[in-house]
Amino acid sequence: MCLAIPHTLIAITGPKTAIGRAGTVEVEVRTDLIDTPAMGDHVLVHAGFAIERLLPDEAAEVEALWESIRAHSVTASHE
Amino acid sequence: MNDSAYNRVLTASRALKELADRPLKFMEVCGTHTVSIYRSGLRTLFPSNVSLVSGPGCPVCVTAQDEIDTVVRLAGMEKVAIATYGDMIRVPGSSLSLAQARALGASIHVVLSAAGALDLARRLPDMTVIFAGVGFETTAPATAAVVLEANRYGQDNFLVLNFHKTVPVVLETLAMDPALALDGFLLPGHVSTILGLSPYAPLAAEYGLACVVAGFEPEQIMAGLVLLALQNREGHFSVQSAYPQAVRPEGNKRAKALLEAVFEPADAKWRGLGLLPGSGLKFRPPYSHFDARIRLGLVDFPAPEPAGCRCGDVLTGRIHPSECPLFGCPCTPEEPVGPCMVSSEGSCAAVYRYGRSEFR
Amino acid sequence: MTIDGYTVHPLSFPGGNIGKLAVCGTVNDLACRGAKPLYIALGVLAEEGFDEREFLGYLTDASTVCHRLGIRIVTGDTKVLPRGELDRLVLTTCGLGKTLPGRDLGISNLRPGDDLVLTGPVGLHGATIAALRYGLKSEGLASDCAPLWELVKKILPFPGLRAIRDCTRGGLATVLCEWAEGSRLGIEVDESSILVPDTVSSVCDLLGFDPFSLACEGCLIIGVAPGETEALLENLASSEEGRFASRIGSIIPAHPGWVSLLTRSGGRRVLDMPAGEILPRIC
Repeated sequence: MCLAIPHTLIAITGPKTAIGRAGTVEVEVRTDLIDTPAMGDHVLVHAGFAIERLLPDEAAEVEALWESIRAHSVTASHE
Repeated sequence: MNDSAYNRVLTASRALKELADRPLKFMEVCGTHTVSIYRSGLRTLFPSNVSLVSGPGCPVCVTAQDEIDTVVRLAGMEKVAIATYGDMIRVPGSSLSLAQARALGASIHVVLSAAGALDLARRLPDMTVIFAGVGFETTAPATAAVVLEANRYGQDNFLVLNFHKTVPVVLETLAMDPALALDGFLLPGHVSTILGLSPYAPLAAEYGLACVVAGFEPEQIMAGLVLLALQNREGHFSVQSAYPQAVRPEGNKRAKALLEAVFEPADAKWRGLGLLPGSGLKFRPPYSHFDARIRLGLVDFPAPEPAGCRCGDVLTGRIHPSECPLFGCPCTPEEPVGPCMVSSEGSCAAVYRYGRSEFR
Repeated sequence: MTIDGYTVHPLSFPGGNIGKLAVCGTVNDLACRGAKPLYIALGVLAEEGFDEREFLGYLTDASTVCHRLGIRIVTGDTKVLPRGELDRLVLTTCGLGKTLPGRDLGISNLRPGDDLVLTGPVGLHGATIAALRYGLKSEGLASDCAPLWELVKKILPFPGLRAIRDCTRGGLATVLCEWAEGSRLGIEVDESSILVPDTVSSVCDLLGFDPFSLACEGCLIIGVAPGETEALLENLASSEEGRFASRIGSIIPAHPGWVSLLTRSGGRRVLDMPAGEILPRIC
């Protein structure tokens, strides 16, 4: 329902605008929807607006999720 | 996708086989999930007792026929420019699509952002620029932000044709449908980024349905399905997130405050579901002069959905796209009859493009 | 002989312009039939007031390609239309080439078991134009617009060469679907063997495009008998335009008329023909 792409903010250009980099592309991003945007922030951008800061895939929450999935997968492979 | 993502898909696929101890039917609410599932061929990795039906989460698809007709009609007016997302351009209206109207000379601009629509209004001071705003809670805050800006700068030639809809109400409607007999919802990742988890609580608490928010990468979708199966196995239903990267339990407070400031809940008309109380957004009085319907005194002419088209049943998971009598003939992505075939995330288009002879 | 009309917006883009495109497109159409391009006729439709220096710049680039390949522009015609009746500039090129006797590279030569070789990365031209059109700044992204006759000439001696096609509008997906339909055979392709440059995938992610549907202007698909694939790849790798060549799949007897894609996540799906204008999407 909503494509959103990770961007890194590489410049803050105004109170509500920044330049975001996604892969090799640089594009203007609106920052109205996030608190205190700063250079280097990893954000999720939907339709030109940053909608949230992103946790990296290495974050503890993500690891914990996959740890629990792996637990069920391991049982399966032993049966 | 790197190796670890590939391995994660396999790991999750094994876990899903282990946990699904009876037939399970889930609804992937979001059209982006539908497309990701078909594009990655993920269905071929599900155990045979797990099935997924597509839900109403394609904003273009659920836009009612008369709403499409309204924007096409406005496009034909003198000194009017329409700005909208590319998703809307090829959706067939009762007589024309926006693409066809453009070929006849209408001024129609594809924008990547609501901010682009406001920019257009600044660049075309002699025109009335009407932004046809579609989308759910993920997209609506951008419209709210831009309307606040237009208000501050007195950008009076900027209007919004507001088609925004909200997700939780429609899910409750589907949860109540005995014909669907769902075992859970795979909840939309980016709508939940804004909303957080609490708006879905009644689905689990009152309807006893497993509810899991998932991201859009194949391994993230698989993770969501594993948690859905686990809730069913344990018989304990709650709202969980399998997408901690982008979803905080409380959602995006700033975006929610912006929505609250500019919009209030309103009844909205959904293709296939009709009028659902409280499932849409309308401008609060201080901003109602940006509402194209009010400013231009528009009346919606009721328009029947295309004859034979069963987009409504597809959107509510009642039938598989291939069960629609028009599917594939005459309705194809080249010459769509209904919006589910034209929208790139419409489930008919997804099945047509990626799944016709499902390589199981 | 071949004829094609060229419009592109903007007229000039990283990696080329309408002049170079109009010659390369026609050269490549001839090359894919195994024909050495010899002569080109050029038709010009220009909007009144079109900048003469800009126009000459495009012609210079067109003639540079011709000169390099020993092609003569033998005739031409220019018409100027009143302002507003045409969007700036349209070029039409008609090319005449000479085939080797007995060398036919049509779809009907494809046989089950044949390998499919792709000579370069996909989507560069389409992504370049889309990035310009939608105001995305993309470092290092340039169209692959290039004449491919010299590449084709190198591989024409392979007896196992079955068919060649350049992926232009509609991209890789379109050619594969046309081959499957036209040959009444199935095609199986491995997604991970198809080179999608980061510059292309970044634009595709942002605009919601499928890289396999985006135009290329310097990339061939080659059908080759399986025993000759390795030698063909080696031969291609020694040239600029073919240095990223790889085997991406094969012709199979199963599911005739269909292309199946083994995805990066290990699933399988249909690769279908793209429909209509490619539009950016938010959903």
